[in-house]
Amino acid sequence: MRRTLKAAVGLATAASLALAGCSSDNETSEVAPFPTGPVTIRLAAWSLATTPEFQTLKDGFEALHPNVTVELVEYDAAEYDTQMIADLTAGTAPDIYVQKNLKNFFTYQDGGQLMDVSDVVAKLPAGTNASMYEVDGKAYAVPYRQDSWVLFYNKDLFDKAGVAYPDGTWTWDDYAEAAKEISAKLKEQDPTSTVYGTYQHRWQSTVQGFALAQTPGADLSSGDYDWLAPYYERVVDIQAAGGQVDHGTSQTLNLAYQAQFGKQQAAMLPMGTWYVATLLAQRSSGDADVFNWGIAPAPQFDSSTAGLDKTPVTFGDPTGLGINPAINDAAKITVAKAFLEYAAGIEAGKALAAIGITPANTSDEVAAIYFGLEGVPTDDLSKFAWSRHDTRPENPVFEHTATIQNILNDLHTEVMTGSASIEDAIATAEARVANEVL
Amino acid sequence: MAALAQAPPPDVGRRRRSLMWRNTIAGWSFIAPNFIGFALITMVPIGYLFYVAFTKWSFGRARWVGLDNFERLLGDQRFYTALFNTAYYVVGHVPLTFAAALGLAILLNRRLRGVAFFRTAAFFPYITSIVALAYVWNALFSPDFGPVNAFLRFIGVDNPPGWTVDPDWSMPAVILVGTWRDMGYYMLLFLAGLQTIPSQLYEAATVDGASAWQRFWNVTLPGLRHTTFFVLVIMTINSFKIFDLILVLTDGGPGTSTLVLSHYIYLKGFEENDPGYAGAVSIVLFFIVLAVTLIQYQVNKRVND
Repeated sequence: MRRTLKAAVGLATAASLALAGCSSDNETSEVAPFPTGPVTIRLAAWSLATTPEFQTLKDGFEALHPNVTVELVEYDAAEYDTQMIADLTAGTAPDIYVQKNLKNFFTYQDGGQLMDVSDVVAKLPAGTNASMYEVDGKAYAVPYRQDSWVLFYNKDLFDKAGVAYPDGTWTWDDYAEAAKEISAKLKEQDPTSTVYGTYQHRWQSTVQGFALAQTPGADLSSGDYDWLAPYYERVVDIQAAGGQVDHGTSQTLNLAYQAQFGKQQAAMLPMGTWYVATLLAQRSSGDADVFNWGIAPAPQFDSSTAGLDKTPVTFGDPTGLGINPAINDAAKITVAKAFLEYAAGIEAGKALAAIGITPANTSDEVAAIYFGLEGVPTDDLSKFAWSRHDTRPENPVFEHTATIQNILNDLHTEVMTGSASIEDAIATAEARVANEVL
Repeated sequence: MAALAQAPPPDVGRRRRSLMWRNTIAGWSFIAPNFIGFALITMVPIGYLFYVAFTKWSFGRARWVGLDNFERLLGDQRFYTALFNTAYYVVGHVPLTFAAALGLAILLNRRLRGVAFFRTAAFFPYITSIVALAYVWNALFSPDFGPVNAFLRFIGVDNPPGWTVDPDWSMPAVILVGTWRDMGYYMLLFLAGLQTIPSQLYEAATVDGASAWQRFWNVTLPGLRHTTFFVLVIMTINSFKIFDLILVLTDGGPGTSTLVLSHYIYLKGFEENDPGYAGAVSIVLFFIVLAVTLIQYQVNKRVND
């Protein structure tokens, strides 16, 4: 299956090279007025049946501009970047395309596949953070949704174990303590209990994302990864003490985090805010149990950022929109820029919040809509966790992000399966980064 | 013939040429549907690959860098790891699958009630979705809850291996699953080969007092020589390009313990966005497979002589 895809990409690239002749020097700098006649712009999207956000943005923008038609071009969610790179190369990519995460932003920007949209960013509401899309003082995309990692917790299981809920002041040590305590207490009550204190999914980001965002001085590009050690030591300890299902079991049984938390197999789950909408949907479909839950800020590196009077540090890549520089129709460029401005603004934020999505803009107006949704926990801590955080990128943008993340993913599987000690794994990763990248 | 060629009557020569021309056209038209597909989807990209490997490639713009990619390859530790793991897989998978396939074929090449059922059963893994079978095998191999280790503990193994989550056992686990998956296909090829061995040879050998082992060694194996060669070549090539099974079974892990060359090419080309470098690795893999296949041909020729 991958092979055919590879062949198709190869073919597409070969053909495009022959046909397109590669011309992208038609930059239009003057701003054309917003057209009054009918205009169609094409917007990249994925999994339309299960991802309503694209339709929401399309409907919202078309309502504002009746002469504009937004045509959604559907891609495969898992192969989105591969397909987009092929389409950009072939010259058939949509006018506006999504930056699904930051891992590939460098490739697009450095490859000259993103239009300078600094003028759009200048018009966005105050508080919009587009800095991750800036290169040499120019912005190349705008964020429209910004999920951040928080801590989901099951209040019923906490009550059953007799452990106090997270209160917003937790550091990772408090979290580890609670995870182990809940597992142990539930086991005391019922020796056959298979419910764990927490579930940590297999992704490297569940450890490394927090370590990178929260540790002072941590830098992905430095080639020095000692800052990962405390985070891994803690997780390996939780795993050994039975506070969470171990990585090997999770991998071989292919556990889904949605089922682990949704079916009450774990009392806590560090996860991105996108899971709120999933959990609500699964509750109504019966794929998840109905129980009391809430979200708390991600546990912190130390007490300096923990507490309701502070801004907790967490991570998450924004989802952004960029413009394909191959459009050479000035009117279309104006419309595309207007679309970006709309999508990153408050109106789109409200529309997205209304369907359970965390927009880039989490102002009070938007938060009010989000927490008015049926089933979203409305306690103060959940509101605090959702709207207040310093979210650092999971994939800081530079040339070798993808390579280094792959190397650190190997470190992750080594340490989590107990194949190597964290010290040895860090030494291996540092040697590999030095060998392959720096 | 020579005289005819020297002075052909003019219209005979023309007729013959037109006949040849017509035959050529007919021949081409027969292979055209296949060849056009092959040329467009395989040959052109492969040709292009030999160009891409010498460039830094980005969105259709290729900057010529000469041998840079190959120089980088020489010092790339991850490449050597992948090379070693690929060789490990080939060396483990080829003999094991060969023996299993041949054994199955001989076992199922007799009149036996329900033989069709057993043959089908042995062929089943080969036509099963690779993703589905990787999920099931992963669950079977699960270190604490899997039936494989439950059985090992039952027969007295105190510390059964972690299989797909243990770097020392992940490759053996992959080889086992690969063998289980492929043996049915090669069994089919061997079965076809076995049917071509005349039964008189076995009868004669039996009359001469040959034991079962001697019959296998002196009748079956020589009779299967051509099949064996074909199976070995195809099996070796397929083992060198193993990718899908490992991607879904272990994703190259834990660490890099099951990272193979095809997977590395995929990572470099599609995840780390370095198609030029991925092209260079592809070319190295291409020449390794070519060299091994040529050696197999040479050995086969010598054995046949």
